[in-house]
Amino acid sequence: MKYNIKRSVSLYSYQEAYFTGKLDLEGCIREAAKAGAAGIELLAEQMIEDFPVITEGFKKQWFEWMEKYGVEPSCMDAFLENHIYDNRVCTLREQIDNMRRDIEIAHALGFKVLRTLVSTPMEVIEGSLPIAEANDVKIGLEVHSPFSLNSGWSEGYMEMIRRTGTKYFGFIPDFGIFCNKIPTELTNQALANGAHPQCVELVNQAFKNRCEKGFVKIRYDKNLGAANMDYRMANGQGELMDAIKKAGGNNADFAYAGSSFAYTWNDPQDIVDNIDYIFHTHAKCYHIDETYQETCIPMQRVIDAYKKAGYHGYLSTEWEGAEMIEDASDSCVEQVRRHLGCMRRCIDAPFCES
Amino acid sequence: MLETHMLNPEGYKNTPDGFAFQTRIPYYRGITLSIIRNIQVVVDGVEYPREAVTITVNGETFPLEEARTVISNRWRFGQFGEIGVKKEGGLAAGDHELAVTITVAPSYMPMQLVKTGHGKFTV
Repeated sequence: MKYNIKRSVSLYSYQEAYFTGKLDLEGCIREAAKAGAAGIELLAEQMIEDFPVITEGFKKQWFEWMEKYGVEPSCMDAFLENHIYDNRVCTLREQIDNMRRDIEIAHALGFKVLRTLVSTPMEVIEGSLPIAEANDVKIGLEVHSPFSLNSGWSEGYMEMIRRTGTKYFGFIPDFGIFCNKIPTELTNQALANGAHPQCVELVNQAFKNRCEKGFVKIRYDKNLGAANMDYRMANGQGELMDAIKKAGGNNADFAYAGSSFAYTWNDPQDIVDNIDYIFHTHAKCYHIDETYQETCIPMQRVIDAYKKAGYHGYLSTEWEGAEMIEDASDSCVEQVRRHLGCMRRCIDAPFCES
Repeated sequence: MLETHMLNPEGYKNTPDGFAFQTRIPYYRGITLSIIRNIQVVVDGVEYPREAVTITVNGETFPLEEARTVISNRWRFGQFGEIGVKKEGGLAAGDHELAVTITVAPSYMPMQLVKTGHGKFTV
């Protein structure tokens, strides 16, 4: 299959540099372009000062930056704030209005894809489809670990796609579903917080076992908390916690064990099977070493699946290592640069379909 | 991690009815004040009551209870908000240690996000 895999950077990756004032929005775009990105992914709520208002001045500036740095908008990440009030959930109308606002912002800034979260109710997505179509912005549901493709959960959305025949909804896989190790930096952080090496070993071994045996996938349930808890228990969280208790584990040990269930390994074939519904991707990463290897995601294997599938679209680097280290306000730039190098190498590698 | 950079080292001061300091929100995007569930202030091991705490963002000040209904004032990502604490006479001259714990409830999270920043300052 012919493929055209392009590289993008989610400016989320630079959040700590932005937070501390080391990079402004233009600085983030400049760094992404310098690292080799052709696409820019933006969390409007993170880096647009006047959000949710898009002033004419900002719009003009935005497109000037795109031209100046030779990049284009790839995806805008939205957050449906349906619990904006403490005492009630927003009505369906209010939630669709919120989607309309975000779709229109995406359209105004030239984005063709709007990322939405797993917490967006099905009827809100369905109710937003005409707005998406009118604005030529596709709604992409993030497939974020522990959610996965080829699962009871994704089948719930496939049913909606088949029923409506929509071309304006699909999936945005996040590479956190392709972790075959627990991120090294997370392990280091746990040890620094006082976790016992023998308990860390128990957690790592249990994760390895899950990878080898295969994860039990998450089901579709409007109650995400319940689905998540069932997923955890079905994958041995109870047994692991018992083992840590028996080994005399402390809070840091239990926290590490709990965190380990946020990462999953799925067969990259899932991408091939669902390619008709994938038009953007979060290339999540945690730690990229000096040799440009992502230390817990087998990038070549994952990107080969995108080649096999004939993917046309962006892989958008989303570095999430910041929360695992004390200060990421400088290292974020280097981590992104390395990850784009890693992706280039994987994309350029010769591929023969086996 | 964002907590490392939360507090403004230049932001501490005594005020006419207590003291104040400046913090960024330890979360990766801007939020409406309505999703702030609590701001717990502990100075030198002493916790101040929730009722004594106010938040000022973009020139508007709210007690925490009132902030719950504020959906048109956004605390921007990376922006310093000022936390005011009522305390007669303010803080005594000398060195102090602050721990501020901010709890927010982003809609998509099954649990609330609780993050603490630490600061040392001299009055």
